[in-house]
Amino acid sequence: MVSFEIDGKKVEAEEGSMVIHAADAAGIYIPRFCYHKKLSIAANCRMCLVEVEKAPKPLPACATPVVEGMKVFTQSAQAIDAQKGTMEFLLINHPLDCPICDQGGECELQDLAVGYGGDVSRFQENKRVVLNKDLGTLISTDMTRCIHCTRCVRFGQEIAGIMELGATGRGEHMEIGTYIEHSIDSELSGNVIDLCPVGALTSKPFRYSARTWELNDVAAVSPHDAVGSNLYLQVRRDRVMRALPRDNAAVNECWLSDRDRFSYEALNSEQRLVLPMIRVNGELQATDWKTALDFTVKGLSKVIDLCGSDSIGALAASNATLEEYYLLQKLVRGLGSSNIDHRLRQSDFSHDAVAPLFPSIGLPIADIEQQQGVLIIGSNVRKEQPIIGLRLRKAFLGAARIMAINAVDYEFSFDLAHKVITPPKQFVASLSRIAKKLANETGTTIPAAVGDWAGDVAVSDSEQDIAKVLAQTGNQTALLMGQLAVSHEYYDSIYQISQVIADMIGATVGTMLSANSAGAWLAGCVPHRGVLGSTENNPGLNAGQMQKQSLKAYILFGVEPELDCVDGANASNAIGSADFVVNLSSFMSSASDYADVQLPLAAFSETSGTYINGEGRVQSFGGAVSPKGEARPGWKILRVLGNMFELDGFDYTSSPEVFAELDLSNLEPSAKLREVAIMAPPKTETTSEIDLERICEVPLYASDPLVRRAHALQACADNPPPAARVNAAQAKELNFSSGTKINAHMGAAIVALELIIDDRIPNGCILIPSGYPETAALGGPGMTRVVRA
Amino acid sequence: MNKLKAYLQSFLLWELLKGLALTGRHLFARKITIQYPDEKTPMSPRFRGLHALRRYPNGEERCIACKLCEAVCPALAITIESEQRPDGTRRTTRYDIDLFKCIYCGFCEESCPVDSIVETRLFEYHFEDRGENIIHKDQLLALGDKYEAQLAADRASDAAYR
Amino acid sequence: MLNQESLNRINKEIAKYPVARKQSAVMAALHIAQEEKGWLSNEVMDFVAELLEIRPIQVYEVATFYSMYELAPAGKHKICICTNVSCMLCGSDTVVAHLEKKLGVKLGQTTDDGRFTLKEVECLAVCGGAPMMQIDKQCYENLTPEKIDSILETLE
Repeated sequence: MVSFEIDGKKVEAEEGSMVIHAADAAGIYIPRFCYHKKLSIAANCRMCLVEVEKAPKPLPACATPVVEGMKVFTQSAQAIDAQKGTMEFLLINHPLDCPICDQGGECELQDLAVGYGGDVSRFQENKRVVLNKDLGTLISTDMTRCIHCTRCVRFGQEIAGIMELGATGRGEHMEIGTYIEHSIDSELSGNVIDLCPVGALTSKPFRYSARTWELNDVAAVSPHDAVGSNLYLQVRRDRVMRALPRDNAAVNECWLSDRDRFSYEALNSEQRLVLPMIRVNGELQATDWKTALDFTVKGLSKVIDLCGSDSIGALAASNATLEEYYLLQKLVRGLGSSNIDHRLRQSDFSHDAVAPLFPSIGLPIADIEQQQGVLIIGSNVRKEQPIIGLRLRKAFLGAARIMAINAVDYEFSFDLAHKVITPPKQFVASLSRIAKKLANETGTTIPAAVGDWAGDVAVSDSEQDIAKVLAQTGNQTALLMGQLAVSHEYYDSIYQISQVIADMIGATVGTMLSANSAGAWLAGCVPHRGVLGSTENNPGLNAGQMQKQSLKAYILFGVEPELDCVDGANASNAIGSADFVVNLSSFMSSASDYADVQLPLAAFSETSGTYINGEGRVQSFGGAVSPKGEARPGWKILRVLGNMFELDGFDYTSSPEVFAELDLSNLEPSAKLREVAIMAPPKTETTSEIDLERICEVPLYASDPLVRRAHALQACADNPPPAARVNAAQAKELNFSSGTKINAHMGAAIVALELIIDDRIPNGCILIPSGYPETAALGGPGMTRVVRA
Repeated sequence: MNKLKAYLQSFLLWELLKGLALTGRHLFARKITIQYPDEKTPMSPRFRGLHALRRYPNGEERCIACKLCEAVCPALAITIESEQRPDGTRRTTRYDIDLFKCIYCGFCEESCPVDSIVETRLFEYHFEDRGENIIHKDQLLALGDKYEAQLAADRASDAAYR
Repeated sequence: MLNQESLNRINKEIAKYPVARKQSAVMAALHIAQEEKGWLSNEVMDFVAELLEIRPIQVYEVATFYSMYELAPAGKHKICICTNVSCMLCGSDTVVAHLEKKLGVKLGQTTDDGRFTLKEVECLAVCGGAPMMQIDKQCYENLTPEKIDSILETLE
């Protein structure tokens, strides 16, 4: 520790830290533009000049290391004079367009100009003009306003890991931009809007729609990924105008992914369901709540009377609130059925009995950066869980070795030490070989079934390397399973063998799921377990079974079966052929074609509730705006339905009352299986030579009903129209070229797509994304035959 | 001595005469009463009456939706909504003033960076129906168009003191 | 994109730096690429970026910063005239005027036949021989219009 003085105040700071750190910690404000706590030091704005005793000239506080006994003056005549001088230079080329600038009111330059700027400019020459850049649908630019702090450039370089912005030219001709016009396709690009201290980079969807001083901040939690990013919804006149990150060092730090930042647009989508609707003579008709609820109760009661209560089932979205899950399962179980699930994108449920209390990523999010080794299994983590991707990059910069077993050679913001790119069908075999090799290395015995899965294939070099690294990194290792693993037909075996690997070295194993998957398990929204993991004596059908065999009645809670289920085509067929379908939804969707009653559900931001993120962090939030139209919060609808079915214990008056019924203290983020029991591998099926295995990824902006309706995200470069992708060798073999129109056949379904050559895909595979109406007919993963259209 | 003087003055009705003299002077003085509404008093160029939104000579509306008037209004009488017009400029889609709330302080006019919102010399207006007290953007712009000559002249004459 | 000789030279430059610091060779690589191609097109810069395993924008930053990288097609010979204070006092204005008249182009332009590009540059540290100019890699001092004519005649 170094002790020194700032403005006569004794302060202590760590050796090697900068004056500005110590000043910030001591609550002494030094003006700054280029300095940002999370970015490297550039010292190019010169706004933080301070006087230091015995230094002949003022020194930049952000780049002056603290020295024992130094005396710093931030308010002396020399310091103020230097800061005023800097401000005058900054204002030379800055336009005076504050009245039309979206940054007005939250602009660091504007604020500091009040303190340090002159009222008259001595600059008589022409101001420079810089042409605006087109950075895509999310960021709008007014480059003339740029003061060259290079925060955005450093963000790309250091945090996001993909440098797309740069400073070209020099002196007065310096410009921030991409040089060659192209839009930024980073999943974190929106953060440069927050970083920009002036109005050069502003939000495009928000452009000119409100002033900062009109907005009220309401704390909320993002509904999209397992991180549960903390954010502020900025509300004006009962409308969400934009979303900004809320600092939480343990979760999202000060960053926010674009999906969390811009998905609010969907709240005002024209597709919102705003009135209850019932089907009369085959037509959906708008009606009032009373009629709709009576209709629902009557319909469900009729099914129960005729076919028994086992014939109804409920499917919930994976981003409903804890309270909604709890009431939904209470309602369904109260009606005598246990057919309730939220795991719509999972195909293999074999390990239900030994599953942990709730699915988690296995360790606290903040601890990811301390790992020495990380093995990613079937995940495009950068796009699936952008903030976890960010943490992984930090781990990588801290010398962690990150490895992956993936079906696509995804581009990450960190380098992979070793990788196995293999068709999904080989995931289990590849993992088994790694486990076997690792068992050799560590001298442990592993279940024989692992050897059966590994087969006779020799261990590849990269598999050996991964095993070697795992043996070295030991208990400082995290195994993270992503969406391609979870939707895998042998997810159980992937999980079990990952657990075997983790057990050998003391590593953690985890799954990266959705915003409230953990909450759903804890609330009992799974067929085999009740509240807080209690055993269900009479387990019902899981999501996979409910999607395959048609029940007589379905309750859909925020689900669009066609796009949200792993096999959308079959799911919508099964649900569509039911006698009675209750669709609680915020949006009109393809489920509206067969729903018998539609109850408008309050969307994200319109309801209070709780999310439990992937590390078991319980985060409650209140509603920010009132529900649109006649929509009502889910817990209220379920509560009233409970009353109407005359079930006990549905007399809640607020969502915290529901929450209070669950004891959620001491949630440890552990996804360890209670017991390892690996199934024997199936007999190898003979598949036709010319068929390709479909890799069925759910792209970033197709993940849930909310994002699918956010216009700016849908139109951005990161969301290309769905296409079929194969590698060049495969395309040559099939005699296709890039842009060929093809028909993809899966079973009886045929979908016309454009072929794109993409060398990230392994041989024998074809990448056809799901989550799009265009590809929904194909269903889930499986073998695809591709024919020229 | 003073006592005697006061006694004599009261005896001679001195105060009465003094009062009558004042009355008499005013009887013949020039009158300031005017016959409103046939006659009107002169007005200052700074008079703060009914609001108007001005345009530039090329017909483009001046208002850029900076919302400073909305922020500065002490009576919260102004409501603005804005968006990006297809040509890329920042414009209002709604500009309402509640004339019941307005206290005619003139802050909106003073805060306007583009001299768009102004107060005209108009003070004789009335409403016949509920709701008419809220005037909208089109009405404000029409007022601006109608009185532009006067508004421009007033602003020019006051420019030296701003 | 680049011929084998240039690639060999670039690899030699890369070898001067630690493996993780390939980026350091960017200036040398751009010079070599420019020598071969005459100027730096976006494709050439992208290629250099790929070679050094950096993002294209990092190459653009360097290429736009330094005035000696040509970002538009340049002539066969690059005539750089110093117009800084020493040269100016010794008559660089006449040199510029003469060259502009003789070649029929303004400063910063290239002749129609693609032989010459005329450039105004900052001090080249030959103030002792002012006014001076540099053609390609050769320095010419104490210029007069006659001397310029004779120099240009010797060039293809």
